[in-house]
Amino acid sequence: MPLELKALSATNYPTRGIRETPRVCKLIDVSTCIGCKACEVACQEWNDTPVAETYPYTGSYQTMPDLAHNFWNLIKFREAERDGNLHWTMAKYQCMHCEDPGCLRACPAPGAIVQYTNGIVDFVQENCIGCQFCIMGCPFNVPKLSPRSQKVYKCTLCSDRVAVGLEPACIKACPTGCLQFGTKRQMLERALKRVKQLRAQGFSQASVYNPPGVSGTHAIYVLPFGNRPEDYGLPRDPSVPWVVSLWKGPMKTVGSALLLGGVLAAGLHYLKFGPQRVERKD
Amino acid sequence: MKPKRRRKRVTKSVACELASHAPEGAEIQRYNLRERLIHWTVATSFLYLLLSGLALYSPRLYWISSLLGGGTNTRIWHPYAGVVFFLAVSIMTVNWRRCLWLYPEDWEWMRYTWSYITHGEEGVPESGRFNAGQKTLFWMQALSGLALLLSGVVLWFPDKFSWEGLGTEPQPYSPGASSPGLAGILTHEVFAIVSMGCITVHLYMGLFATPGALRAMVEGKVTEAWARTHHARWYKRVMGISL
Repeated sequence: MPLELKALSATNYPTRGIRETPRVCKLIDVSTCIGCKACEVACQEWNDTPVAETYPYTGSYQTMPDLAHNFWNLIKFREAERDGNLHWTMAKYQCMHCEDPGCLRACPAPGAIVQYTNGIVDFVQENCIGCQFCIMGCPFNVPKLSPRSQKVYKCTLCSDRVAVGLEPACIKACPTGCLQFGTKRQMLERALKRVKQLRAQGFSQASVYNPPGVSGTHAIYVLPFGNRPEDYGLPRDPSVPWVVSLWKGPMKTVGSALLLGGVLAAGLHYLKFGPQRVERKD
Repeated sequence: MKPKRRRKRVTKSVACELASHAPEGAEIQRYNLRERLIHWTVATSFLYLLLSGLALYSPRLYWISSLLGGGTNTRIWHPYAGVVFFLAVSIMTVNWRRCLWLYPEDWEWMRYTWSYITHGEEGVPESGRFNAGQKTLFWMQALSGLALLLSGVVLWFPDKFSWEGLGTEPQPYSPGASSPGLAGILTHEVFAIVSMGCITVHLYMGLFATPGALRAMVEGKVTEAWARTHHARWYKRVMGISL
């Protein structure tokens, strides 16, 4: 299952490869997460990204306050009150691998962000210029800048493993089956089945988190309280920021038209009226 | 020492009106060395900002970055050039504040803008050292420069700005322009377009439409006829002809 290009950042010519590959997906069933952090460790191990920083204890089991340039997989531990009961939720957080990635749209460097036909969105650090526009374009607040290399990093969905037919490291490490990996269709089917089970068990609001604002994601969730994604640290209705769409779309067209029009108008003026010569003294 | 300084300052404040009194037929100093130096500092930094900005603005123009040492170099140096540009424009604004201020006669001039553009028959009022069009263009550029600087700082240090304020726990974003960086991008782009529009006019006027204007900014001198044609009120003042 080789990696085939689907889209390249800041590139106007067609980039799509010739092979058809299945679209992959990670399923995170929050209802079966026990917060063991095996996925965090596996991610660190496989990607060889040791965390140097330590943080003062904040009253939470959470490893880090947020994702970091060298920490791409974080279980968010959150407390939420629902129906008068305190709920302690654990939900793995990482790059969502959007079908319509805001980071890729915002990126000005050709080939610094790539999207493969299998759905993985990957950062290519050698093409990255460190402008951080991807950080602004991401509706999930995922990409992080390394202060050392001045490049941006995030979860690769283990594209190197997936390319050779292996599952991502976090999936392999999960002991409860909370994390699963397969084709998008398979994972959606499994997620819906699990939602049905949860509803039967009394979680009437259980649902699949596959946000349509970014045309769906290649990491989807089963949320027991699907009406409250914020409780799991997930944005309610994420979409590519309208500024990015405006800036990379109509504004570019209008701006270029205005500028070219200005140059053309100047040329036309020169031909029609010519330069203003100095008056001869009478 | 002190009185001498004071005296110099007085001279400076009228520097823009002042040019060496020249005998009939001779050339007139239009820009002194200091003014030219500042102009070309502004121009050089603007050119770099334009090229590097265009490279980052459009994928179709990204190739310009290879002329500037690659994308990363372009990204690194663009903001520094912006600071140089802004400082130079600030000095220019202070130096020329009097000759660039819009006076009632300038509003009068603006009524004849179309006539000026089309070299019409209708008499365009005589202008001072700068005409109202030049003044307007300057202020549009200067204000764009300020907007570009402010939004540019946000883009330069995006992690230092957040609506919630520093140090708060990162919350999942709500959709839309939730990051100050996005507001920065929008502002930066709008004013970059304004600025590029202004520079198109300025370059056309300076290089093509007004022969003698480039020489004025390079050598500092214009012919008397040039001064009389383009800036009659300034010419009369310089020559000591009463209005």
